Amino acid sequence: MQLVNKRRSNVCRALAAAAAGLLQSTQANAADTTTTFESGVLYYKENGGRVQAIEPSVTASYDFGNQHRLSLGVIYDSLTGASPNGAVPSTQSQNFVTPIKIGSTKTSVTSASGGSTIISIPPTPGQLAQAAFGRQYTVDAGKLPVDPGFKDQRIAANVDWSQPMFEGSTIGFGAGFSHEHDYQSLGAHTRLAQDFNDKNTTVSLALNYEHDTSRPLGGIPVPFTSMSPQWKGPNDGKNGVDAVLGVTQIMNRFWLTQFNYSYSWSNGYQNDPYRVISVVAPLTGLPVDNLYESRPEKRRRQSLYWDNRIHMDRDVLDLSLRYFWDDWGVHSITADISDRFSFARRWFIEPHGRFYHQDSASFYKPYLVQGQPRPANATSDTRLGTFNAYTGGLKLGWIPNKVDELGLRVEYYKQVGNGHPPGAIGQLAKQDLFAQVSAVSATLSYSYGF
Amino acid sequence: MCLTSWLCSMRKRPSMPRKVSRAGAWVVGFTLTALALNGCASIGVKPWERDLMAQKAMAVDSHPLQSAMDEHIYFSKEASSGGRGFAGGGCGCN
Repeated sequence: MQLVNKRRSNVCRALAAAAAGLLQSTQANAADTTTTFESGVLYYKENGGRVQAIEPSVTASYDFGNQHRLSLGVIYDSLTGASPNGAVPSTQSQNFVTPIKIGSTKTSVTSASGGSTIISIPPTPGQLAQAAFGRQYTVDAGKLPVDPGFKDQRIAANVDWSQPMFEGSTIGFGAGFSHEHDYQSLGAHTRLAQDFNDKNTTVSLALNYEHDTSRPLGGIPVPFTSMSPQWKGPNDGKNGVDAVLGVTQIMNRFWLTQFNYSYSWSNGYQNDPYRVISVVAPLTGLPVDNLYESRPEKRRRQSLYWDNRIHMDRDVLDLSLRYFWDDWGVHSITADISDRFSFARRWFIEPHGRFYHQDSASFYKPYLVQGQPRPANATSDTRLGTFNAYTGGLKLGWIPNKVDELGLRVEYYKQVGNGHPPGAIGQLAKQDLFAQVSAVSATLSYSYGF
Repeated sequence: MCLTSWLCSMRKRPSMPRKVSRAGAWVVGFTLTALALNGCASIGVKPWERDLMAQKAMAVDSHPLQSAMDEHIYFSKEASSGGRGFAGGGCGCN
């Protein structure tokens, strides 16, 4: 009977944690251990010399007894490569000049490698000292404009505490911190979970508050001003609140289902400070200027998420669907499926597939036309455009005992968008206006407990 | 029996809809199906029937670290986020 109670409490604890979407190692078998570790290294590489990332991470969890559990997680990101700057390709070569911080060799010279040159610029009235230099890179005719100087590191940490509160209920709270050289995020969260129906049903509510600060190299640009190396405005930021209301139900011995409604509201600086949108000539389609993008300051996001885990003898099927919408006009659907197939007692193989479709934000435009009225907001960021994305992958796992697990997963991700929208002007009709992304990733993971 | 009915109904469903508006209706359809299944007399399990639910692979987020990595990639490449957890990314990658 004690064993049964242990299992019941484990399931409920796992449900509560997953509803909050936290980095918490609450596994069914973890009750047999007081300390668990989850570690992994992600390698991610996009085609065409674009972004490349290495992301090691580890989460440790310790049970002080009676389901009082403390979890600590640390993630490190290292990113390099080239990133699209938002401008359209052209039949003529294009020069782009961005701010650079002279005096910090680590920031300037290193990030200027890979096709950039440091140039001096003539002084202008009101110019700050740092703006005496700029970083210039040239994009050849017919090529997608990318900034070759993209380089970043991120360190993130989170802490979480969970414990029983009343009969059948769990409370948890924690905090998160993420730091990049040009961005910082601070957050705090809490959650409540209550069991019903002999612990077959769990209702949970999770809340999160986040404060982000953007401090890009070169300062915050004024939207719709021309791209320049001039040092710009001070830091800016945004605040956000998230809520996730979830219901998890054990349908029968083989089927676990979860339904979440998520609401997210953010207010503040939502632009990508490095991204521009081209202004093209009305007849030729040749770029005549590059303006910093402009996004609304407020955003309300909502989603419905449904996940199912179905145990079928040696298989565990995981099928999830998500419908997302926001007041920027983005609507999307995501279908994700994986099937974990056990073989040879201690091994499993897990194919994974994901389909994603999104409709563009209302202010997404590949370019602006010279002489036409300027919209209130505009971005050429294809992440806010219309596209499909496909993911396919395979994971091979080894389970030396019921707690430990070693896994290697390889995946391929591809975005497909319309690079030739109707009505493209002049030379733009011949250019691919969607910054296609395809990437491979490999994840090596190991979890263990004692 | 509930599982069997659900799997059978899956096979009868059309292929992936092209428009999100239809997709929304699709999700709602699934939701209503799930709610309808709540009427099944056999819903839930007895305490001695939780052996499979106790397996790690049956936890709703059996690999939280891997999920976090996936969410980070998708958050940085797509306009949508959240669902399983919070929508805020906690980073400047989007």
